[in-house]
Amino acid sequence: MSLLGFFILAFIQTRYSVPVTFQNLFFRFDPLIFIVVSIAYRTVLSASLLSISIIAATLVFGRFFCGFVCPLGTTIDVFGIFSRKEVGRKTKLKHLKYMILIFLVVGAILGVSFLHFLEPLVIFERSLTLFLHPVVAYVSGLFGLGSARVYTESMIAVLVFALILGLDFISQRFWCRNLCPLGGLLASISKLAPFKIIFGEGCTQCGICEKICPMDAISVDSTLVDTGECIDCLRCINECPQKVFTYKLGRASSPLDLNRRQLIGAIGTSIIVAPLARTLLHRRLLGTLIRPPGSIPEPDFLNTCIHCGKCMKVCPTNGLQPCILESGVNGLWTPRLISRIGGCEKNCNLCGQVCPTSAIRNLTPEEKTFAKIGTAVIDRARCIAWEQDRVCLICDEACPYNAISSLNETIRGTTLLRPFVDERICTGCGLCEARCPIEGRAAIEVFSIGEERKRRGSYITEEKIRLRALEEKEEDIPAGFIIDN
Amino acid sequence: MDGITRREFIKIGAGAAIFSLLPKSLIATENNAGPMIGVAEGDNSKLVRAAVDLVGGIDRFVKSGDTVCIKPNLSFASNIDCAATTNPAIVRQMVQLCLDANASRVIVMDHTIHDATLCVERSRIEEAIIDKKVSLVTLQQERQYAETEVPGGVELTTIGVAKAIQNADVLINMPVAKSHSATGVSFGLKGLMGLIWDRGYLHRVNLDRAIAELATVIKPDLTVVDATKALTTGGPGGPGKTVILNKVVAGIDPVAVDSYAVRIAQWYKKSWSGNQVKHIRAAAELGLGEIDTAKMRIKEVRV
Repeated sequence: MSLLGFFILAFIQTRYSVPVTFQNLFFRFDPLIFIVVSIAYRTVLSASLLSISIIAATLVFGRFFCGFVCPLGTTIDVFGIFSRKEVGRKTKLKHLKYMILIFLVVGAILGVSFLHFLEPLVIFERSLTLFLHPVVAYVSGLFGLGSARVYTESMIAVLVFALILGLDFISQRFWCRNLCPLGGLLASISKLAPFKIIFGEGCTQCGICEKICPMDAISVDSTLVDTGECIDCLRCINECPQKVFTYKLGRASSPLDLNRRQLIGAIGTSIIVAPLARTLLHRRLLGTLIRPPGSIPEPDFLNTCIHCGKCMKVCPTNGLQPCILESGVNGLWTPRLISRIGGCEKNCNLCGQVCPTSAIRNLTPEEKTFAKIGTAVIDRARCIAWEQDRVCLICDEACPYNAISSLNETIRGTTLLRPFVDERICTGCGLCEARCPIEGRAAIEVFSIGEERKRRGSYITEEKIRLRALEEKEEDIPAGFIIDN
Repeated sequence: MDGITRREFIKIGAGAAIFSLLPKSLIATENNAGPMIGVAEGDNSKLVRAAVDLVGGIDRFVKSGDTVCIKPNLSFASNIDCAATTNPAIVRQMVQLCLDANASRVIVMDHTIHDATLCVERSRIEEAIIDKKVSLVTLQQERQYAETEVPGGVELTTIGVAKAIQNADVLINMPVAKSHSATGVSFGLKGLMGLIWDRGYLHRVNLDRAIAELATVIKPDLTVVDATKALTTGGPGGPGKTVILNKVVAGIDPVAVDSYAVRIAQWYKKSWSGNQVKHIRAAAELGLGEIDTAKMRIKEVRV
């Protein structure tokens, strides 16, 4: 319960003006993220090495993570107050979580990560970002507090979350028992754990333990506790009238609930699905898909990004938005800068700081300004300075890099300052697009032209520094002056 | 009771009554009766009081118990060395003056262009929030504005104006002196765009004329231009060239203050007069103030 609070605190504190320290720790302790991302990315994910401590602890004490750490598990337990009608109804689906785990690992071996659809911490975090935060922001906005938060996609995230909670109506902790791949991973490890709950002497077969066990881990008939399923919640120890249960050292027990046919089924599904999901068509089809600054190259990015939404939560302009289908079905909820909603602030590198898997590199604020994410392009047919002879130049005003110059240009006899983009200086931050005053689509839009994506190495080059330092920037006299008086 | 005695009151009152009966030509000192401009130069920590004293002192504007709105330029999330936002030390001096004059509330506010949190942080404006009576308000939400008629407006017919200034007793405009890629310069008149909701609309119509029409609706009681450091190119957001002037310009007539401020530096590497800046000229043509610096009573002081 307190760890759920800590998780939510970490979520709330994922914001501008709070230094990034502990905000992504939960994810870095998550062994499933460590394993799947490391395999898919073909690199040991150093940020997640902390998760080895969870594997080691599970190897000794069993599946305590699910009972005491997992915020989704705790939320499901809390929700259980409303849903718990049939407490311990049996479902014969426990093997599914192992199949899902194998599906994820085989997919990763084939170079595709499906983690984001199935990882419990990710699902929880994303639900907070895309669903809870906008709702809280809206309600507090009614009282004049805080600023609004909107996302292009919230409903699918809500449905996933609602579905997981709703499954609780079938049986208690249905998700944790039967579906959760992290649970599957920890269950297979905890089969080997020496510390476990042991069924002692004196059982009267009253069946209370079977009813209260949230994980359906106890079988009274065979007087066995399945250590793979047991999450060390200790309810049986407390509730048993005969006090037959003890938590102590014992021998390994109970084989994995997975037969050969199920194993082959999981591998087969992955082999079929993974190649279909691994398309990079969107790179060619959508020129306005802008990834956050410091994002690693797209194929690596898709394998490393866990779609948790932390970058979107922390983005001070609300410009980082979840993709819906723009980067393929498997790119659902990956971050995308929609500058029309909000550009990329100049001295901010928070998305890279909070990213738990370094899919967005943690660049210094200085270096971030050199990481080109795209180039602004003016649509002269829609620009009111070009097409309607208006004194606008808000894009010039908004550009923090002086990449937009206002120069005199004569069209049909009217000489007026009109904006030009210097593509060598433009970083693609999109602050111009955000502020363009015309209705609907901006007349200046950022395309991924010239974007730089690097796995490692610096974005700063001497040429860029030279261009940026140019003292004598082209600048014509503003139209607000009357030159011949 | 530390105010004036009855005897003093009568004396002053009688004096004022006689004074007001005199013909205008007798009151006018020296050569004209134009608007007063106070210019203080020198020690940055004393400029505001010195400049305001030149135009009559703070007591002329702020009475005991008044609610005062101070409108600095906080619009850009640029660092303060850019000079795209009003120097917080200058705003703080004005806040202190208002508190000294027993203002009951001082509200420092602007409608920022960039993200408000970032603008507040980078402009370091919180350094000016020195007392419980002083608050900082960013005007980012539409409900903070009231739709207001613009009588005789050509470009503007109605415009959403910040409710805060309508509820206040005194409005003090505190722009920073800077260049502007569209309007040429941006001082007090241009700064009024930070008190309206839909600033983009002004860019879609004749911007210079629209600013002048806006000035018919929003009339600051005092304009104090922060010219400690002026952004002479690359405005309004910067970065650009800056020049250190260590000056503050104060005045009541918004057109006169702006017109005077045009002359204090070269903008875009050229010297200009107020008459050459379209929006200042448009404001003068609407009768909002004096544009000719020769007709102003300019008082200068070094501190």
